[in-house]
Amino acid sequence: MLNFPRRSPTITTFLCKIIKNSYESHHITTSPTLFHCRHLSHSFPHNTTPWFSSTRLSRSGYSNELSPTQARFWASQPESTEHSTSDELTVQAILSNNWPILDENDSDWKSHATAVAQSIHLIKRRLQWKKLKVRLDMLSVQVNKADLWDDPVNAGKINREHGSLLGKVKEVNALERELIEHIEMIKLAREENDAELELESTKALLNMRRNAEEKELEALLAEEQDSCSCYIEVQAGAGGTESMDWAAMIMQMYKLWAQKRGYKVTVMEEMAGEIGIKRATIKVDGEFAFGYAKAEIGVHRLVRISPFDSNKRRHTSFAAVAVIPILGGESSRVQINESDLRIERFRSGGPGGQHANTTESAVRIIHIPTGVIATCQNERSQHSNKASAMAVLQSRLDQLEITRQAQLNAQHTQSLTDITWGSQIRSYVLHPYRMVKDLRTNYEVSDPDSVLEGDLDGFIMSYLSASLDKNEDDA
Amino acid sequence: MKLSLTNHNFSTLLNFSFINLRRPFCSSSLSLSPPNYLKPKVPIFLRPPIYSTKLSDLKKWHDWAKNVASSIGSTFVKSDNGPDSSLLCRELKWFIEDVVENHHSSLFSQMGLDDDIERVKMRVDLEELYCLWKQRIEERKPFQYIVGCEHWRDLVLSVEEGVLIPRPETEVIVDLVCDVVSKNEDLKRGVWADLGTGSGALAIGIGRVLGNGGKVIASDLSSVAVAVAAYNVERYCLQDKIELREGSWLEPLKGMEGKLAGLVSNPPYIPSKEISGLQAEVGKHEPRVALDGGADGMNALLHLCDGADLMLKSGGFFAFETNGEQQCKELVDYMKSNKSASLCNLEILADFAGIQRFVIGFRL
Ligand SMILES: C[S@@+](CC[C@H](N)C(=O)[O-])C[C@H]1O[C@@H](n2cnc3c(N)ncnc32)[C@H](O)[C@@H]1O
Repeated sequence: MLNFPRRSPTITTFLCKIIKNSYESHHITTSPTLFHCRHLSHSFPHNTTPWFSSTRLSRSGYSNELSPTQARFWASQPESTEHSTSDELTVQAILSNNWPILDENDSDWKSHATAVAQSIHLIKRRLQWKKLKVRLDMLSVQVNKADLWDDPVNAGKINREHGSLLGKVKEVNALERELIEHIEMIKLAREENDAELELESTKALLNMRRNAEEKELEALLAEEQDSCSCYIEVQAGAGGTESMDWAAMIMQMYKLWAQKRGYKVTVMEEMAGEIGIKRATIKVDGEFAFGYAKAEIGVHRLVRISPFDSNKRRHTSFAAVAVIPILGGESSRVQINESDLRIERFRSGGPGGQHANTTESAVRIIHIPTGVIATCQNERSQHSNKASAMAVLQSRLDQLEITRQAQLNAQHTQSLTDITWGSQIRSYVLHPYRMVKDLRTNYEVSDPDSVLEGDLDGFIMSYLSASLDKNEDDA
Repeated sequence: MKLSLTNHNFSTLLNFSFINLRRPFCSSSLSLSPPNYLKPKVPIFLRPPIYSTKLSDLKKWHDWAKNVASSIGSTFVKSDNGPDSSLLCRELKWFIEDVVENHHSSLFSQMGLDDDIERVKMRVDLEELYCLWKQRIEERKPFQYIVGCEHWRDLVLSVEEGVLIPRPETEVIVDLVCDVVSKNEDLKRGVWADLGTGSGALAIGIGRVLGNGGKVIASDLSSVAVAVAAYNVERYCLQDKIELREGSWLEPLKGMEGKLAGLVSNPPYIPSKEISGLQAEVGKHEPRVALDGGADGMNALLHLCDGADLMLKSGGFFAFETNGEQQCKELVDYMKSNKSASLCNLEILADFAGIQRFVIGFRL
């Protein structure tokens, strides 16, 4: 049987309850944030960004009203009161002032300050600030428990997560403090007619404004598994040659995308069709590979004049994409018993041994209790194929376990077999017009070639921000 | 053709080596050059990348080679269960990996406007690439002899004509030994023997799992095999752990009676009459002495049973590879009826294709 690491399911349920109860219903609308302007304006105007126009921010979301029971844990927390200038200007207040945001080159401190405040707000929303703080409270309680280290594996996990969340909270707090301090300085400089100090502080604000972009991006990839390497799997839909060719094109797109990002790509498994591929798995090695690639999960649709159809008819083909994180720490991984495995050689036939010379040494491993299968044929020895297939199997079982535990059907934990052919995420049209459009975000690009050559970041970023930014009340 | 410094002036020498470098394996020059038992060939991937070629020319070769491979279809499969196009194409990919310095997967997929300017460094001359791939397809020379190596377990072993290319099935013997020594510290530090070591695969695999004090005696009748095995042992820096001996089966083990912790072997086991029907890569290119096990293929295996009886110490382990179910059964029957006083815990194990392949057991 599988030995699953112990984890308490009650934590999540409890969390959900708290968060539901703490939702606020007062909203204000806000102007586009820096992130949206930078990444999307070149392809379509802000006002048609659907996921943005529906975005609303919570006015009271930022205040930390503590219940009496929560309050006593704050001793170990970073400062939680709002930063404000001497005349009580807070980050929240800056936001609600709705100062116009001018170009960076206009040396206008209000504009810089508002841009930074918006970034901070966006970052908080992406970090799911409220949930994060509740979780941090809970972890702080656990970290301080005397019997924590009775279960060292669990303790290590709690400690790591606590440290990571605390780090994020501290970082955001530091940003807020810095913003307020610079504004304070500018006000002071004005009062004292110190032009040099004013200029200096305005410059400092501008710097913050520029750095904020990177922080916004970092906040998009704040989930535990985001920093992992991953496997990307592509499977051709029904329709023979057409779809298999499409699956090969999609796979090539990911290889090129990964190379552009500086990731290492290894082909683990490739089931070739007459043309193209029936199914393939690549390993993408590098920081945040999973965080980005998870945006690609789902069904990709192609419309084109078929190069295989002598009548030049239009064809629609489908390919499904799954992405599996490769978890790092040993502790979180499912234990696999050797006796639960059946290891088979692929495509073997004949008497084998000394009779045969073959460079085919593909191996298939079947995990009997779950029926999960992994194969590898890319390596040059059977031993290495087995090792690689084991690694794939391990990640698939880990993924299964994560889904089982979370019981939330989060999209990124779906395996290829779970993805229904209905869940289309993106459409690539080469004929009668040329366009690639993401059906989740409506983000679109009119140059399919560039996308198929791996220019996917626009799609990925817009999806990631959309999926996080829609959590209206989280900031 | 004998080359001696005194008989040639410098320019002819240069000239000679130039030609020789450019066409060392082509056409008939191979069969004319004297066999050199003592100096094994360096596998391609270990040679210095001294040749520079235009990327466009390499692409041209690649397209040609791919075409040739594709044209085979399933011809070889039908004639003697040989490789099909898809396998040949994979070999081609690996071939390029071994030949091109700083090889990367997108070498040929790039759009290639600069192909005429861009140059790649290679470990073999372009002309020779054509020759080698022709040999692969036309002569059915095994891919491993073409590149001079075989990836086996986590090792890359040098191989060449005259030495059997280690098989994937045989990898499992190392796993079996690994299991045994992980449970028995005494066997882990003992002396093991690999009889008919060929490229040294089993000896090196086992040498790497033995503990301090553990040793392997690896022997073979063939001096080419011993030379290649020695080269491989050196590449993995196991000279202190593995001792090579030339000789027939038990003969090199004289004096070790009752002292061995373990005995492994993958001896020739193919029945003589089946040799002529073998896949061309095997039958036409691999040494007969490594394959032919006599009338029923059992000659060496039966001899090795006596060896296990004679050479192993009490508690010692043995593992033999066989031709399949029938040989496994016959071998176990033989041991049960003739060696029941010395060999015990006999077991037949299957390979990953599900074929009963190994007989293992212990010395009482
Ligand atoms: C099937 S090959 C195995 C080689 C290697 N152990 C492997 O698994 O790749 C059999 C080996 O036994 C050697 N051999 C044949 N007759 C022998 C003999 N009488 N004494 C010792 N070795 C012999 C051959 O030279 C050959 O290297």
